[in-house]
Amino acid sequence: MAGGSAISGLVGARVHRKEDRTILTGAGRYVDDVQERGMLHCHFLRSTVAHARITGIDVEAARGLEGVVRVFTGADMSAITEDLNFAQPIPGLHSPAYPAIAHDVVRYVGEPVALIVAESRYLAEDAAALIEVEYDLLDPVVSTTAGLADGAPQLFEDVPGNVVHADEQLFGDIEAAFAQADHVVTDSLDQHRWACNPMETRGGVATYDRGSGQLTYEASTQTTHTLRFLLAGWIRQPIHQLRVTANNIGGGFGLKFSIYREDVALCAAAKAIGGTVKWIEDRNEHLVAAGAAREEQLTLEAAVKADGTLLGLRVTMLLDAGAYPINPPATVYAGLVRTTLPGPYKLPAYQFSHKIVATNKASYISLRGPWAVETLVRERLMDKIASTCGISPVEVRRRNLITLDDQPTKMVTNVTLECVTAAETFEKMIGMVDLDEVRREQEAARAEGRLLGFGVGTFIEPAPGTQEFWAAVGFPFGAEPLRIRIEIDGKVTAFTPQTPHGQSHETTLSQLIGDELGVGMDDIRIVYGDTDATPFSMLGTGGSRAATMASGAAVYGARELRTRVLDIASHLLEASVDDLEIVDGIVSVKGAPGASVPLGQIAMGCWLAPDQMPEGTNTELEYVASYDGEGGGFSQASHACWVEIDQETGKVEVTRFLVVEDCGRMINPAVVEGQVVGGVAMGLGGMLLEHSAYDAEGQFLSATFMDYLMPSAPEVPEVEIEHLEFESDKVISSRGVGEGGTVLAPAALLNAIDDALAQVGRGRVMATPVTPTRMLELLGVIEKA
Amino acid sequence: MNNGNTTREITLTVNGRKRTVTIEVRRTLADFLREDLGLTATHLGCEHGVCGACTVIVDGATERSCTQLAVQADGREVTTVEGLNGPNGELHPVQEALRDHHSFQCGFCTPGFVMAIHGMVEEKKAGRPSPCSRAEIREELSGNICRCTGYQSIIDGAEAALAAGAGKES
Repeated sequence: MAGGSAISGLVGARVHRKEDRTILTGAGRYVDDVQERGMLHCHFLRSTVAHARITGIDVEAARGLEGVVRVFTGADMSAITEDLNFAQPIPGLHSPAYPAIAHDVVRYVGEPVALIVAESRYLAEDAAALIEVEYDLLDPVVSTTAGLADGAPQLFEDVPGNVVHADEQLFGDIEAAFAQADHVVTDSLDQHRWACNPMETRGGVATYDRGSGQLTYEASTQTTHTLRFLLAGWIRQPIHQLRVTANNIGGGFGLKFSIYREDVALCAAAKAIGGTVKWIEDRNEHLVAAGAAREEQLTLEAAVKADGTLLGLRVTMLLDAGAYPINPPATVYAGLVRTTLPGPYKLPAYQFSHKIVATNKASYISLRGPWAVETLVRERLMDKIASTCGISPVEVRRRNLITLDDQPTKMVTNVTLECVTAAETFEKMIGMVDLDEVRREQEAARAEGRLLGFGVGTFIEPAPGTQEFWAAVGFPFGAEPLRIRIEIDGKVTAFTPQTPHGQSHETTLSQLIGDELGVGMDDIRIVYGDTDATPFSMLGTGGSRAATMASGAAVYGARELRTRVLDIASHLLEASVDDLEIVDGIVSVKGAPGASVPLGQIAMGCWLAPDQMPEGTNTELEYVASYDGEGGGFSQASHACWVEIDQETGKVEVTRFLVVEDCGRMINPAVVEGQVVGGVAMGLGGMLLEHSAYDAEGQFLSATFMDYLMPSAPEVPEVEIEHLEFESDKVISSRGVGEGGTVLAPAALLNAIDDALAQVGRGRVMATPVTPTRMLELLGVIEKA
Repeated sequence: MNNGNTTREITLTVNGRKRTVTIEVRRTLADFLREDLGLTATHLGCEHGVCGACTVIVDGATERSCTQLAVQADGREVTTVEGLNGPNGELHPVQEALRDHHSFQCGFCTPGFVMAIHGMVEEKKAGRPSPCSRAEIREELSGNICRCTGYQSIIDGAEAALAAGAGKES
């Protein structure tokens, strides 16, 4: 059945979120809300220098402070843990193993050098102030270019030249493409480091049961199962004696996909002490030490025909990985950028090379669409090609975009595109904008001394992507399980490996199950965040998988149980299965409501007296479904951005923002729109305000929210959204939408800024963030620093 | 070294209930509410007074609970999100408006916004200057940070809460 059923009309409706009563009343259980009897509190002492050899650490005074239970130095911790080793069987990947707490060399400001466990966090922080660490300073590496320079300080013995990974891949005949070119258009972008900054920082509560030997870790994580299996090895805990749970999670944005050294140290401390320990990162620690994203420098060279047709593209990328690898390995980021960069455009030939460089900074981590720089540089390049060829940004895209009529087709990176509607979203968007009016307004504004800009962009998003796509990236694309049970009274419980942290999966999965099984939203509970209860998935919530993959598992699971229930009911009601329906938990014969049996009655029979149920029926009302994605697919969108630039202060104001998106069939439009607006806000904030900045010594400069500027309500524009709901003929035609706003909005924004700069004869943005100072430099008002 | 355990007795009212407690003078109001009283709806997002997740109402005004000490609340009246619901857990009209507009996602910043918007609605009811346009509501809420939503849905909910609150007694 194409598109799934809509028996009770929950799917597609803006139903209230199941999550909202909990969060609006403050009744949630975020990890910092956990209080266990006898619980101890942890604090990490962190390195104040970027690169140094630890020559001494004196913790005696801290140990002597009343209320301090234990102080772990790096050596103490290494005696009870294994080094974190994220090395994968990837050719040429230099992924150094590292201890939970540094004991030899520190490689970024914020690296843990001691863990204090005390009766309160206040006391733990008091104790930290009593610890003396002696550092023998080493020269820091604070940029990719410095790291690659001859004679550069080496961060690790096993990372020669500080190069974590380097590769070059070739698709099509790139030499021929450049030989035929009428124009060669070059471009580059130096993207700055910025961060996920979920409102809830990292943290956890670890409890070791001395009787059973079981360790329970209540975490703030996107991936309970992966956290569990990596943790087990590193704290030497048998995995069957390790349970990871997660309740309410205050945002993740990719940060909470990985396990971190603090998780390892915390759980090892609980085990060593034999009780409950809690660590909640404060915002200062979070900004300094949790890791940040997006620090990439790209150069591009496009071979184009005189009419703007793309012939070939050469791209190089330097990625600043920070000091220590986390999950996923850096090659996955490079693979994602490489594979996705051609986007929805016809591109006959392509060459991509990258170098991933270790530096003395906190780890490079995932951030909402970790591959986003591919869209940013490609969409900027399209505008530059347009201006080189003397055509409009709209026309250059029209001439190169792959339309539905062109599909199925293969990207140059060997990924099949099918049902991709980037071109259609673009046309729909352009149809909503009066381009002549935009130019007239700009002229009128210039006459008044004001400066307006307009920019567009389009893209495709692997949400969830396809088997081929993930093979090209070099990352597994597994099926998604879901366990579903009709309870003894007819209510439904479903267990998902998703670990939602704002994505409303309790609501959307209930909508899907409710429609399939004919039960109401209140009669369904979604269980997540417990490795004792939920089926295994490596991924949890991330990579925009849930809309397709978790939805598919829910629909297939519910359908299987529906089939079993209807088979039983057909015997009981002496009617054909085809004549039965389930509405509000009652199975009845269509058109004859008197002939009915409550779901609860069937369930009670199945659970309590299966031998007395109709012969030959399947009375198991619990089932584990697995959904393979039916080949998977892509989301797509086009954005248009209007800006006004204040030429005296350098402030960039986004005055209008339009999104035309297509994530296939929407399960809950309010949820989709929330993801889109939130994503756009994050993308704009990242380009204009946010910066995880380091100085030349590797000191971190953005350690509070007064220095790291988060977008607040006045800085974010009203986002207009138009949906294009293209439905494939697959059972599940819903696609992910959580990451796209953050991926595409920066491109439309920078194109709008460049458009404004061009009107006053100034050059384009070549580095981000576009702060007021940088804007004034670009406008020529002040000298470049 | 002073181990910080200097204590003082204070009397304050929290969510309508008067309490007399002896407390470390360095304990923040937020930690007192969350850890000593178990009122964990008040969240800590930055602990330096920027993000607004810890917003509570003290003597009728919205205040940060992370950047004041519990002893500063001596003799004062504090309301947290837990104090908004009806006797049977009914949602407060502000919470209903925010639910109806799908205002939030992960929920971590939510209690701070609920209190900030509740404060705005009460100001309006009292006839004091209060925001009218969406731009004014955005400005008024600029002391609360949300990373998930991009604010639009929160502004929708706040607008509705202000409209609904204008015609009603509290």
